[in-house]
Amino acid sequence: MPQIPIIMPQLGESIAEANIVNFLVKPGDHVEADQDLIEVETDKATMTVASPCKGKIEKFSAQLNESYAVGATLGQIEATQEEAERLGLDVLTARKSSDHEEVVKPGSISDRNRVQPTIRGLPVPANAAGASYLSPRLKARMDELGLHAADLAGIAGSGAAGRVTVEDFEKFIASLEKQKMSKASTMRVAVADAMRRSWTRPLATVGLPVVIDAVLAHRKASNPKPGPALYALRALAIALAENSAVAGRLVGSKIVHPSAIDVGFAVEAEDGVLVPVIRDADQKPLKDLTQRYNELVELARERKLPADATGGSIATVTNFGTFGLIWATPIPLPEQTLVLGLGAGRRMPFWDEAKGQFVPVMEAYLTLSFDHRVLDGGAAGRLLQRIGELMKQPEKL
Amino acid sequence: MAAEITYIDAIREAQARALREDPRVFIYGQDVGAFGGAFKATKNLATEFPGRVLDSPISEDAMVGLAVGAAIEGMRPIIEMQFADFSTVGFNQIVNQAATLFWRTNVTCPITVRLPFGGTSGGGPFHSQSLETIYAHYPGLIVLTPATVEDAYSMLLEAVAIDDPVIFCEHKFLYRHLKAEKLPVEALPVGKARIAREGRDLTIVAYSAMVQDAMEAATELAPEGWKVEVVDLRSVKPLDTDTVMASVARTGKLLCVGESWPWGGVTAEVIARVASEGYGLLDAPPQRLNAKDTPVPFHPNLWAAHRPTVRAIAAAARKILRQ
Amino acid sequence: MLQTVSEPRARQAGTVREAHLAAYRFMLRARLLDDKFAALYRTGKIQGGVFLGRGQEALSVAIGLALKKGDVFAPLIRDAAGRLAFGEDILDAVRTYMGSALGPMRGRDGNVHRGRPQQKILPMISHLGAMISVVNGMLLAHRFKKISGTVGVTCLGDGATSTGAFHEALNQAAVEKLPLVLVVADNQYAYSTPTARQFACENLSDKAIGYGVQVHSVDATDLTACLKTVGEAVAKARAGDGPQLVVASLLRLCGHGEHDDASYVDPKLKNSPLGRDCIKVAEEILLREQWTDAAELAAWRSEIVREIEEAVSQVQREPAPDPFTENWSAISSAHLSETHDDNGR
Repeated sequence: MPQIPIIMPQLGESIAEANIVNFLVKPGDHVEADQDLIEVETDKATMTVASPCKGKIEKFSAQLNESYAVGATLGQIEATQEEAERLGLDVLTARKSSDHEEVVKPGSISDRNRVQPTIRGLPVPANAAGASYLSPRLKARMDELGLHAADLAGIAGSGAAGRVTVEDFEKFIASLEKQKMSKASTMRVAVADAMRRSWTRPLATVGLPVVIDAVLAHRKASNPKPGPALYALRALAIALAENSAVAGRLVGSKIVHPSAIDVGFAVEAEDGVLVPVIRDADQKPLKDLTQRYNELVELARERKLPADATGGSIATVTNFGTFGLIWATPIPLPEQTLVLGLGAGRRMPFWDEAKGQFVPVMEAYLTLSFDHRVLDGGAAGRLLQRIGELMKQPEKL
Repeated sequence: MAAEITYIDAIREAQARALREDPRVFIYGQDVGAFGGAFKATKNLATEFPGRVLDSPISEDAMVGLAVGAAIEGMRPIIEMQFADFSTVGFNQIVNQAATLFWRTNVTCPITVRLPFGGTSGGGPFHSQSLETIYAHYPGLIVLTPATVEDAYSMLLEAVAIDDPVIFCEHKFLYRHLKAEKLPVEALPVGKARIAREGRDLTIVAYSAMVQDAMEAATELAPEGWKVEVVDLRSVKPLDTDTVMASVARTGKLLCVGESWPWGGVTAEVIARVASEGYGLLDAPPQRLNAKDTPVPFHPNLWAAHRPTVRAIAAAARKILRQ
Repeated sequence: MLQTVSEPRARQAGTVREAHLAAYRFMLRARLLDDKFAALYRTGKIQGGVFLGRGQEALSVAIGLALKKGDVFAPLIRDAAGRLAFGEDILDAVRTYMGSALGPMRGRDGNVHRGRPQQKILPMISHLGAMISVVNGMLLAHRFKKISGTVGVTCLGDGATSTGAFHEALNQAAVEKLPLVLVVADNQYAYSTPTARQFACENLSDKAIGYGVQVHSVDATDLTACLKTVGEAVAKARAGDGPQLVVASLLRLCGHGEHDDASYVDPKLKNSPLGRDCIKVAEEILLREQWTDAAELAAWRSEIVREIEEAVSQVQREPAPDPFTENWSAISSAHLSETHDDNGR
């Protein structure tokens, strides 16, 4: 009876191999064409290998938890001659069991079913080419001047494939010398460095309009008056206390969970931004935080924040509404995953279903920028929705 | 005054001066006596210095062994190998006897072994070899590769004066093709490389006859706006890393050219040093150009393609310059 | 420094009795030293190879006694007796074998690869036949320097006569008519290779005519014959007769090295006159001539054993070379040392 090979199928674009995780049938079983025989796992998904024809499982040569290349033979099915011809399948000639059979052994040198590395043993070409290539000499010069790749963004490269050569670089530096230059403040350099480091991550933003009449009314009736950002801060803190995983940090393949719900808020100070922190912002109600918040704002503006009032926060709130902006995509601090932005309130028409007409409300946009490696749009959206919900009942914050 | 002194004249003059000034010097080799040597490097010296320019039997092993023994007893022998290619018959005595004597016994071995080396059209596999790499590889030897008439003279004199075994690689093609007006009075010492041509965009490191080819390639590239710097190593061992490094610091780009085979050669050695000690100087990956990895062919067509030529050097240079 | 030999008169005086007695004492010293090295090897106190000269002492000592100050000697691996007779200090041998930093090779080379070129006793390199041309060069230098009356002797085995180096150098010496004495100890085996696989001529002495040199044959088991023949060959060379080939016949009475059990040696040879131990033969001569008696022989033996024990215990306390203070440069010209690599310094 003809032996039909069971072959590792194509598993998706750019997938070269898959791991055997489960055998769904065993040698001797009778199977139908297209029946699932083996479960395999790739980088992206778990998939199955199906039977090429109706027949009986002769043997599996692949082993559990080993990887095999696309196209590798994983086993054999014994099929009838008619079945084989019907399907026009490649056939391994039937062999006596005493003959030496090519057994696919993981790790053996002659095992051609293993994935072979490409070019000279390296999985990726190690060429230095292309616009992003920085030669060792260029890197050395940049280090000398304290520059980073971001600073080269403005330079057009004249080298091969558009790379910036040392000559381009020196010309650029020389041309800068001709223009008016002033020394950037320490604050500016520090912020620049933080933003550059933050930007090395894939950041995304989601936005949600929130009706803030209740917040405005609550604020008017309070003494002292809490800053608008404090309402957003408390809402964020409560939402994070309910689910802090979204504020975790990704380091390699591990997620570092926040240990306390410390939330910071942005204060413009001189040439930059400072971020004082409210510790355990989920533990105290708004009215107990107001005074502290206002103190911190003042201290920040005067650049007299004490050490224990900065650093260690797990998320930040920024109120750009004070500048009249209705919408913005803030950038989280480099060590944080989330930043919540509050835009300016404006009178907007809101459809009141009960009344059957548009009614005026005060609406402000909340925007949440986040490190997309840690959470996706869904989780970000749900967090924003929860914050918006909480802000509709300011008396409970 | 016209350039009259050839590279081989310079070698002969240096030997004459050594014989004249130092009674410990003698020359031993095949056909060096009355015949004056296969290339006439010792023409008339046997007459001028009777008993000090001796014909040896065809025994490269015994020639070098004899030199070592004479050196132990205070002489300063110069051995002329008829072709570098034949020195391999005496290889054992060079690398195991001469090169180890000082290290094993603290007794110096001041011998000079002159090798007519390098290719000429029609020379073929056994009259064209460049063996500087093999000898440089062994500890205990000094390997010199003069590229100019002046260096052929001054470096040979210095070779005789050096207390260690010196492998003196004289390029056969340069013997009669290279001419100078006069012999030098002073010279760069052995161990220092020479900037043969100053430049800014690319460093070409070369030695022996390839220096001439590199210079021509640099001239070819000049109208295209490239200023190419050429470094003449002069001695392969010791190799003047400092001068090479300083040149690469100026230009950021390196091309090494050698007439010998690629595997583990002088070009590989230069690049290894620059890559490990001067990585941050490089604006492009360093490159080398060597002969093809086959014995040196006989037919002029094949020979012309076997070794780096001016065109090949210029083409390799352009590739790096355009990076 | 060469130690002053304890029998200087024997070398110069030349009476047969004194020559035999001096020779025997050197032979015994060489044998007992070899025994000591063999014992040290078996107890793991020596790194690397141990090469003994058992059976070759008579031939070797004859060379050492025939040479004078100013002559050149290039011993090979079984020449302990000749070295001692030429004036080498036994401490040089013990130190080199045991790897003392104070030995002549300072740990950079070992066992039989020892010598002091400036005292004209050459440290061999392993390539057989390679030392002959070096001796030629030294003799040629004497000629340049107008030093006359010196001789150069080098020893090799039957196996070494097959090398190109041997051929080139003997030919060179003959062409230059140098006062070279080339002593070939034909001990029937080159490692495990019998002479039938080493050369096709009847006898190694047949080669002499091919080179145009004079030849002397000798039974190397016989001390008297060795003293006479070697003495004659050296005298002829010294007199300007050109190179002299001495072909000596004996049997190697040990393995190629102490790592070799020599089980391949033909027992018939062992039991033949060729297989006689030259030391026993020498003792028989001395006793027969009544130049000494058994008691004196025994006394010499224990005296030498004690001397060797003292040397070994002294050297065992000496330091080994220190890789961290070693000058890792192979050339003498410091200004030409490569500086790109700190060479471990």
